[in-house]
Formats: sequence, structure tokens, C-alpha cells
Amino acid sequence: MNLSKETLKELYYNMVLIRHFEEVVDEYAKKGYIPGFVHLSTGQEACQAGVMKALKETDYKFPDHRSHGVCLLAGTPKERVLAEIFGKKTGISGGRGGSMHIIDIKCRNMGFNAIQGANLVTCLGTAFASQYNNTQDVTAVFFGDGTMGRGEVYEGMNIAAKWKLPILYVLVNNRYAISTRVEDVHSYPENLSDRAQGYCIPNEVIDGNDVIAVYEAASKAVKRAREGEGPTVLELLTYRWQGMFSGDPAAYRPKEEVEIWKEERCPIKRLREKLVQDKTFTTEELDKLNKESLEEIQGMLKYALESPEPEPEEAIKHVYVGREVQGR
Amino acid sequence: MRKLSFGKAINEALDQEMERDEKVFVLGEDVAKMGGDFGITRGLWKKYGDKRVKDTPLSEAAILGIANGAAMAGLRPVAEIMFADFITEGYDQLVNNSAKIHFMFNGTVTCPLVVRTANGAGFHAAYHHSQTPEAWFLNVPGLYIVAPSTPYEAKGLLIASIRDDNPVIFLEHKLLYEMEGEVPEEPYMVELGKARVRKEGKDATLIASQRMVYLALEAAEELSKEDIQVEVIDLRTLFPLDKDAIFDSVAKTGRVVLVNEAPKTGNYVNEISQTINEEMFEFLKAPIKRVTGLDAPTAFAPKLEEYYLPHKEDIIREVKEIVEY
Ligand SMILES: Cc1ncc(C[n+]2csc(CCOP(=O)(O)OP(=O)(O)O)c2C)c(N)n1
Ligand SMILES: [Mg+2]
Repeated sequence: MNLSKETLKELYYNMVLIRHFEEVVDEYAKKGYIPGFVHLSTGQEACQAGVMKALKETDYKFPDHRSHGVCLLAGTPKERVLAEIFGKKTGISGGRGGSMHIIDIKCRNMGFNAIQGANLVTCLGTAFASQYNNTQDVTAVFFGDGTMGRGEVYEGMNIAAKWKLPILYVLVNNRYAISTRVEDVHSYPENLSDRAQGYCIPNEVIDGNDVIAVYEAASKAVKRAREGEGPTVLELLTYRWQGMFSGDPAAYRPKEEVEIWKEERCPIKRLREKLVQDKTFTTEELDKLNKESLEEIQGMLKYALESPEPEPEEAIKHVYVGREVQGR
Repeated sequence: MRKLSFGKAINEALDQEMERDEKVFVLGEDVAKMGGDFGITRGLWKKYGDKRVKDTPLSEAAILGIANGAAMAGLRPVAEIMFADFITEGYDQLVNNSAKIHFMFNGTVTCPLVVRTANGAGFHAAYHHSQTPEAWFLNVPGLYIVAPSTPYEAKGLLIASIRDDNPVIFLEHKLLYEMEGEVPEEPYMVELGKARVRKEGKDATLIASQRMVYLALEAAEELSKEDIQVEVIDLRTLFPLDKDAIFDSVAKTGRVVLVNEAPKTGNYVNEISQTINEEMFEFLKAPIKRVTGLDAPTAFAPKLEEYYLPHKEDIIREVKEIVEY
């Protein structure tokens, strides 16, 4: 595939945006502005930016707990994603969900679920609805290597294949669940996604830090799904730079391992070097994009910080349709 | 006496039981090398090794299935489900298997497993990491439910749970893990099915468990300044229910407020209310009241979560209402 300059620019910008976004979330979580805990996707930007570029706004997206970037690129006003993480009234779900439950039905972000694995069967339903309504919309579901332990993954794959559901499985293999490595707890650690073959679902193992490769593979799989050929599993090999959550010392993994991924396999550095080498962009042009993304983030941050907290009574709204719940 | 945190007290109970009985083993997500998401199993893997401290993948149904099978085969599993909310992913194993094994085998097989799990709100973790699940299990004959509120009881009740031949759901409120308290060094048991009177009083009875015990105690403290003497009962075991302790108190006070942080409708404490109604009606001087979470999922933002959760003021209001009834 020969990517246009515009596409390459967008991929680069979106990765940088996710990087800076996560840095701000990390900083403000540590400063105590963000309640609860946040799972950062720093280091995995290419997986999110690459797949999202292959999707349309009407495609269903099931981000997981480590998917701020997916939510950011889904089409939601970005400042409302950050405001949600801050638990503000202006957050995309009014502060009721936070980092793990960023949703937006307008752009079909179905990210309400923090029970790992559950999305792997819920996604069948949206894909089925698209098939039912003949809309050609695809459902993309993001999940980790750790979540491959859950039975729903396999119940889901079996039906998805049998019914030829338009699903893009995005298996983000960052080698760890929380502290357990793939090889510690999985019976076939080489390529986790090979399991899909048992259900007649094609799988592809891709360098998840190569945004172009991710984008191309996702585009191919999405096309296949749109044309009624059924699901594909993309296994994206990557690494989370941070611990399980912001502030996790992650003592369970060797420092050298983290360093290698940061220094030698940074997805942003990698695209940057390629773009400069190919003379697609100059370093100055790319620096300018970095600066623009920082400015965009500053705008989001200001919005999130200045937004009010939700009114307490919001806590009991929308439990039922057309029915109120007794408050205090 | 020596002080330990609630979390360390549980850790010590696990360690001492593993030391005492080779049949005891621990399994769950990240329980081995990392020592658990909340650090509760820290050190056990180093001491007892891979055979007895098992890291599993994210596989709640398998964790509880293994526990059931191993228990039937004579081992004594202590399974950890990281957050109580995830128990639903292995719910079938508990409801349809653990609870019914002794019955189905006509009394010839027991299922002596313990499922430890972190429950409760107040952690700003939203609706999939905040629930309090005892009511989900109450309507399932065959299960014990234990819910300590102090480090002393955490250790003693866990040891008793491991040694008991019934399947036990052992609830650990995540906001109590850091709480310090006196804990004897030697192994000891706190008898299952026995409540404890945390404060004596004659005007009304507050019945609570886990973190809600502290809210009840604070409310009782404030009410005593207005000369209302409230008795506070810490249930400690939610099933089987210590009717004697409850009835003794009701006979004395004739007024009851039940406190629990789960939603009101279908709340665990409703069972207590009905039990008192059936067996102690003539002692009641006022309707039995509840102070609970609201009938909604637990939202994320602190203001929303706070509104969902019961507060000391709610307890004080209800006590005053029934005292003046
Ligand atoms: C059913 C269920 N079990 C356990 C958890 C706790 N938990 C959340 S994320 C996680 C690890 C997930 O690993 P992986 O799928 O590889 O995603 P990663 O964090 O690496 O992005 C665990 C154990 C959960 N949320 N849901
Ligand atoms: Mg992972």
C-alpha cells in the first residue's frame, strides 16, 4: 500500500497526541487530580492510531481498559474524554465512568466495560446487528494477551466464525497481564492468536509498534469483514512502558526489558525516522506537529480542570428508562 | 499486643494455615510472584513454591472450577478473585457446584474451599470495581459468607474458614486493608456464625458489617452525646446468621437500623429484618429501618460515589426517627 502524505501525517500526529495525552493523565493522576486508577497506553500508540485510522465513525469500537487512545480518536470531542477521566460533569459520560468506562454512542464507542473478556461476546451482538441491518459496519474489539485467558474469547470466536460476523479482533499483546507474562500462564505462548485457527478465523501477527503495518493489516481485515467474509484476528506485538496503572512500580519486569522497548522500539521514533529518511517530512515539520498536539492537549487540560464536578443527584439518573430511583 | 494491618493479618492466616496443613493451597490472578493485586499473598510463593501458590491467567471460571474439583478431591483451596465484581465470571461454579456438592453427594463429599475477594466502594473505581456481593449468594443454600471488619477478626475468621468443611465466600473490604489492629501471633480461630457486640446500648440496635461497622460506631458515638445509647453489632459472619446475638439485642432495645453499602432493593440485610419480624415481633417498638447504598450502580466521580454510599448522618437520622416513633 502506498500511503498518502496526509495519511502518514495523521498517523504520526495521532500517535504523538496519544503519547502526550497519556503523559498528562499520568502527571495529573500522580498529582491527585484524577480519582481512582488509570491504565496508560504509552508505548502502544501505534496499535491504537493504526487500527482507528482503518475504521469509520459508524464502526463499533470496543476499547478495553488500556485504550484512552481509541476513545480519543473515535470522534468524541477530545476534551470530553479527558474530562471523563477527571470525573467531571462535562465528561462524556458525566463522570459516572472514568478512565475505564469512556463511551460515546455517537461515534459508536462502546467502552463501558471493565470486566475483561466480556466485550469479546458483547461484540458479537453489534456485529450481528450490522449483519442483520445490512449496514456493512464493522465491530472492532480491543483486548490484551492476559484477557486471552477468559472463556468468552473462545465462545465468541466460535460463533463469530460460524456466523461470519464482521469483527476485527485486535489482540494487543504487550506480553503481560498484570504481573504474569504470556509464557507464565498460557499454554501456547508463541503466537497467541494462532488459537483462532481452531475456529477457522485467519490471524495475522504484526509488529504493533509499526503503525504503517498495523494500519495496512487493519484495513485489509476491515475490508474483508465489510465484504461479508467474516472475522480476522490481528495480534499486535507491543509493550506497555508503564506498569499496570499509573504509579505501579512494576517490580515484576526487568528494567533492561523496559529500556529496550523504550529506546529501540518506540513507535513514534520509528515512524519519525522513516518519514525523515524518506523525505516525506522534515524534522522541523514533525516538530511542529508535536507542538500542535501539545497545544491541543493543553486546551483539553484547561477544559477538564475548569469543568465543574457533577451534581450528586446525577448518581441515580438513568438507572431505568422512564423511571426514577429514590435518592437520599 | 503486636499490631498488624488487616491485609497482613490475612497474609499471616494464609501462611500459618499453609504451614499447618499441606492440603491448603492458594490460586488466583497474580497471587504468586507479585503477591496479589492488593499484596495480600505476598511472600507465600517464595516460601511454598509453584506447587502451592498458583498464578492463573484471567480465568475466573477456571479458578473456581479448580477450587471445586480440588476440594472434592480432598485439598483445601483458597482462591483469590481480585475484585468481588469479577466473581460473576465464575458465579456458576459457586452457585451450581460449590453450594450443592455436599447435598448432591448425599453428604459423602465436602467442598471445603474459601474464595477471598476484595469488595466495596469508596475507591473511585466505578461500577465494575466497587460492588458488595453478599446478596448475590444469600439465596443460594450451601454457601457460608464471612465478612470481617478488623485485622483480629480477619485472621481468626480466615483460619476458621479454611478449616471449615463448607464453601466460604470471604469478603475483604478494600478500604480496610490498611487498617491496623492488634493481632495475636499464634494461629487462632474466630468462630463462624458468631456476631460481636462492638458497643452496648439500650435505645436502638445498629447491625452492620465490614466498613459499615465504623460508620455505625461513629453514629453511635454522636448519638450518645444526645443521650441516645445505641448498641452496635458487627455481624462478622453474614451466613450463617447469629440470631442469638441479634435477638438478645432486639429484646433489649426494641429498635433496629440495618446498615449495608449494597443497593437497598434485595439487600442482604432484608433477610435480617424479616427474621426479626417473624421471631421477635412482640419486642419491636418501631419499624425496622435500613441505611444502604442507593438503587443504582456505583458511579466513578467522588461526588457521585459519595452520594451513592450511606453516611453516618443517614444512620443518625434513622435512629432518631425510630427512637421518637
Ligand atoms: C474478569 C476480570 N478479571 C480480572 C480483571 C482485573 N484485570 C484488569 S486488567 C488485567 C490484566 C489484563 O491484561 P491484558 O488483557 O494483557 O491487558 P493489558 O493490561 O496488558 O493491557 C486484570 C487481571 C478484570 N478487570 N476483569
Ligand atoms: Mg497485556
